[in-house]
Amino acid sequence: MNSKTMSKDLFGDKRMGFFIYLFVEAVMFATLFATYLIYTPAPQGPHPSEVFEVKTVVLASIFLLLSSGTLMIAEKGLDRRNIKMILTGLLITFTFGAIFMYFEVHEFYTFVTEGHTISTNNFLSSFYVLVGLHASHVLFGLFWMIVLLIQRKLLPYNLFKEKHKIFNYYWHFVDIIWVGILIIVYIPYLI
Amino acid sequence: MQFYLFGDLIVLPTDVIAAWVSVIIGAPLVLYWFTKKRYWPVVWDFATSTNHRKIGMLYIIFALLFFFRAGIDALFIRMQLVTAENEFWVFQGDKYNEIFTTHGTMMIFFVAMPLLIGLMNVAVPLQIGANDLAFPFLNAIGFYLFLTGGMIFFAAFFFNAAPNAGWTAYAPLSTYEFTSGPNNNYYIFGLQVSGLGTIFAAINMIVTILRLRAPGLKLTRMPLFPWASLITSFLILVAFPVLAIALLLLQFDRFYGATFFIGEMGHPVYWQHLFWIFGHPEVYILALPAFGIFSDIISNFSRKNVFGYTSMVIALALIGLLGFMVWAHHMFTVGLGPFANTFFAITTMMIAVPTGIKVFNWLFTMRRGVIRLQTPMLFALGFIPTFVMGGVTGVMLASAAADMQYHDTYFVVAHFHYVIIGSTVLGAFAGLYYWYPKMTGKVLDDKLGKWHFWLFLIGFHLTFFPQHLAGLNGMPRRVYDYTWEDGVFVYNFISTIGAFLMGASMLFVLWNIYKTHRTKEENVGPDPWDGRTLEWSVPSPVPEHPFEKMPVIDRRDALWWAKQEGRSLPVADHPRASPIAVRTVQPLVLSAALTILSFGFIYGWVWMQILGGAASLGFFLLRAFNDERTEAYRKEEQDDE
Repeated sequence: MNSKTMSKDLFGDKRMGFFIYLFVEAVMFATLFATYLIYTPAPQGPHPSEVFEVKTVVLASIFLLLSSGTLMIAEKGLDRRNIKMILTGLLITFTFGAIFMYFEVHEFYTFVTEGHTISTNNFLSSFYVLVGLHASHVLFGLFWMIVLLIQRKLLPYNLFKEKHKIFNYYWHFVDIIWVGILIIVYIPYLI
Repeated sequence: MQFYLFGDLIVLPTDVIAAWVSVIIGAPLVLYWFTKKRYWPVVWDFATSTNHRKIGMLYIIFALLFFFRAGIDALFIRMQLVTAENEFWVFQGDKYNEIFTTHGTMMIFFVAMPLLIGLMNVAVPLQIGANDLAFPFLNAIGFYLFLTGGMIFFAAFFFNAAPNAGWTAYAPLSTYEFTSGPNNNYYIFGLQVSGLGTIFAAINMIVTILRLRAPGLKLTRMPLFPWASLITSFLILVAFPVLAIALLLLQFDRFYGATFFIGEMGHPVYWQHLFWIFGHPEVYILALPAFGIFSDIISNFSRKNVFGYTSMVIALALIGLLGFMVWAHHMFTVGLGPFANTFFAITTMMIAVPTGIKVFNWLFTMRRGVIRLQTPMLFALGFIPTFVMGGVTGVMLASAAADMQYHDTYFVVAHFHYVIIGSTVLGAFAGLYYWYPKMTGKVLDDKLGKWHFWLFLIGFHLTFFPQHLAGLNGMPRRVYDYTWEDGVFVYNFISTIGAFLMGASMLFVLWNIYKTHRTKEENVGPDPWDGRTLEWSVPSPVPEHPFEKMPVIDRRDALWWAKQEGRSLPVADHPRASPIAVRTVQPLVLSAALTILSFGFIYGWVWMQILGGAASLGFFLLRAFNDERTEAYRKEEQDDE
C-alpha cells in the first residue's frame, strides 16, 4: 500500500459516500415537501397565514443562514491548519445554530399553546413532520460540533480535518434544506 | 388455548404455542451442538468481522433462515387453500391475513434483498479488483441493521402480533382505526430499520464500484454483475428513502393522531402512491442483480463473451429508468383517470423492450458456445423461459382496460411469482452455487444441485401456472376460502402439490451443504469453473485483502484471455489505498439500541423509547472516538515528517 496517498484516497471515498448519503436525505425531504404541498392549505382548521409568525421565521433564518457563513471561517482555518480560526468558526456556528434551535422550539411551543397541534389538521401534521425532521437535523449537528471539538484533541490532524469537512457538508446541506422550507413552507403564506 | 396468568385471561393460538415450544426445544439443541463442535470462535469471528466475504455469507445465511420461515408460511397458505371450504389449523380469517402478510413482506425484504446484497458483497469487490468494500465498518452496520429489522419482524409472530395488512400495508387498513394492535407497528419498524441498512449497503456498493476498481478496469470493461449492482444501488437510493418517509407518516398516523392517510382530510391513495414509488423500483432492485448474475454465468458456462455487452448495459439502465415511471400500474383500478392510466400502461409496456433485448442477448451468448450443463447454468437456463412467461403476463396486466378484470386476482399472484422467483430466487440459487467455492473453498455437489433444480423448477410451475387459471376464473387473492361452486378446486389442489415439491427441493440444499462440508475434501483451488472474471484469479475461500498484487486490466474478461495466452495478469506498481478493516462489536451495540428503541415504539412504552434513543445516540459517540483509521492516519503523518 502506498501510504503517501492513503488519507487522500480514503477521504475521497468518504466524501463520495457522504454526498450520496446527502442525496438520500434530499429524497426524504423532497417526499416531505411533496406531502406538505399536497395537504396545505387544509380544507378545515387553521390556514397557514393565521399560524405563521414573520418575526420568528426571519430571525431563525438569519441565524441559520449566517451560521453557514461562519462555518466558512472554520473551513479556511482547516486548510491553513490554523487552530484559532477553526475554534472561532465552530463556536460561532454552534452559537448561531443553538439560537436557531431556540427559535424553532419557541415557534413549536407557541403553536402548541395556541392549540395548533399535530392532529389539528393535515397542514399542521405535514408542517410538524417536515420542519421537525429538519430541526432534529440541526440538533444532531449541534451534538456533532461538540464531538468535533473533543475529537480535535484526540485525533491525528488529517483525520480530524476529514471529519470536520464531512460535518461542513452536512451543515451546509441542512441549511439548503432550510432555504427549501422557507420557499415552500413559509414564504407563500407570509407575503 | 386460554388460561389465566396473574388474573388476566390470556388467549394464545396454538400455532404461536407450537412456535414457542419448538424454539424452547430447538434453541438448547443448537447451542449444545455449537458448543460440542467448538463453533463459538467461528461465530464470534464472523459476528465481529468487517470483511466483505464474511458479511456476505452472513447475509446469505440469515436470508436462507428467513427463506425457510417464509416458505413454511407459504406451505400453511397452500394447506388452507388445498380444498374448498377448508379449515386447516388456525389459518382462517385474521390469522390468514397475518400469514400472507408475513410471507410476502419477509420474502421481499428479508429473503430476496439480503440474498442479492449478500452475493454482491461476496462477488462484486472480487470482480472489480477491490480488496474490500469502500466502507468495511459501514458494511457491518448495514448487515446488522438488516438482521435487526428482520428479527423484529420475525419476533412479531412469537408475540401473537404478526402484521396483518398485506405486504403493501394499504391505508386505511394499516392505520390505528382498523388495525389497532401492535401488529403493524412491527411492520413499520422492521422495515424502517432494515431499509436503512439497505441504503447503507447501496452507498457502499456505489462508492466501491466507482472508486475501487483495479487499474485499467474501465466501466466499459466491467463484468455485468457489478454493472447490475451499480444500477440497482442507484434505484435503492431513490426508492428506499421514499419508503422510509411513507413509514414515518404512517407512524405519525398510528401514534400521534395525524391523519395523512385517513379521515376527511387524509388521502388513502397517497399511501399507495408513496408505497409504489418505492415498490415498483423495488421489483427492479430485485430483478437487475439477478440479470447480472445470469449474464456472468451464461457467459462463463458457454465459454463465450457476453453477446451485445453495450446493449446489455444500456438495457439495464433503461429498465432502471423506466422502473420509476410505471408505479401507477399497480393502481389502475383506483380511478386516476384515462390519461394517467394510458401513460402508465405505455411506460409499463415499454419495459418489455430492454428486457427483450436482454433475453435475446442471453440466447445469442449461448449460440455456438461450448455449453456445460452444471448446476449454476441449469438455473440460468430455467430462468429464461420462466421469466419470459412472467413478462408476457406482465404485458397483459399492463393494458389498463384488461387489468380491471385481473386486478387483485390470482392472475396477479401468478404473475409476480413468475417474475420474482423466476429472476431473483433462481438467480440467487445460481449465484449461490456459482460463488460457493469463493465463499468456502468447496464446490457444492452437482448431482444434488440438479435434484434441487429440477424439483424446484417443476414444483414452481406446478404451483404457479394453475394460479393464472384460478385468477382468470375470478379467484381473488388474500382470501382464505372458496366454494366448490367456484370451480377453482383443481387449480388450487395442483398448486398445493407444487408448493410441497418446492419445499422438498429446499431440503436438498440443506443436505447438499451438509454433505459438502462433512467430508474433508481438498480445496478446489481458485478457479473451479474455468472462469472469465477477476474473482477466479484469487484463492478460494478468499483471504482478506486478496489483491495485494493489484492486477492491471487491459480488456473485458482479461483473466480469460490471459489464461488463453498462457500469461498472468500484469501487476500495478502504485495501486490506490485499500479500505481499513477492523474487528468490532460496535454494530452489535447499535443493533441492541435499535431493538430497544423499536420495541419501545411498537408497544408505546415511552421510557423504552427514551432509553433506546439515548443508546442509539450513544452509539454515535462510541463510534466517534473509536475510529479504525486513527492509527493508520497517525502513522502516515509520522512517515511524512
